Amino acid sequence: MPILNVQLGGQGRSSDGKTIQIPPQAALTMRGPVVQVTVSAGRAIAQQILQQGGSLPPPVSGLALIDTGATSTCVDDAAAQQLQVPVIDVVKIASASHSETEQNVYPISIEVVGLPIAIDAPRAIGAPLAAQGLLVLIGRDLLQQCILVYNGVSGSFSLSL
Amino acid sequence: MLDRERAAYEKHAAQWARQNPAKFAVVKEDSLAGVFDTIDEALAAGVSSFGLEPFLVRQLGQPPQEISIPALTMGLLRAHP
Repeated sequence: MPILNVQLGGQGRSSDGKTIQIPPQAALTMRGPVVQVTVSAGRAIAQQILQQGGSLPPPVSGLALIDTGATSTCVDDAAAQQLQVPVIDVVKIASASHSETEQNVYPISIEVVGLPIAIDAPRAIGAPLAAQGLLVLIGRDLLQQCILVYNGVSGSFSLSL
Repeated sequence: MLDRERAAYEKHAAQWARQNPAKFAVVKEDSLAGVFDTIDEALAAGVSSFGLEPFLVRQLGQPPQEISIPALTMGLLRAHP
């Protein structure tokens, strides 16, 4: 079972403008468990398009936040449209700013960089994630295939599937 | 998006589910285009028939999908004090 171990870190600026190192514990607290991913059309759809002689747009790369609070995986709506995957359903979602909005559902495939396996998310919900610097929210529908270990003390986490 | 397909599904879902329990339905416009054992088969058939146009795929006999994404719906992905 392939395992991806991630320890976040980075640089920030202190109040006097100096560049400082951010310890992994603080980085994980601030950013959450994020992984680099590439998103493409779901495998069943991609195979069918290729069999029909069509071509596929290149995968889209970005950050995915592992969100154990979410039942469903979400993908940035603009990225899903860029991938030209068909809309296969519409779901209603209530939000803080709108009483209820309709969001498209897309069949996509997600490859976590560092893991040699693509995971199909056949019902990923389109949402405006790019404004938050995210391409994907990985929800519990995908996590049911994974083992996630969150080590806040060391500022690291591991994901295996 | 998919207004006709969703309306057709709501109208016929019980009947289709009785005839095809647990199968994955592909609906286009007002019609059931096919039923399949897996969602992958349904997706492939949908693309084969309708290309990249929207089409509805749902599992028959299943209750509506319960969706809860608090970070997104409450706008907490990048909250500031």
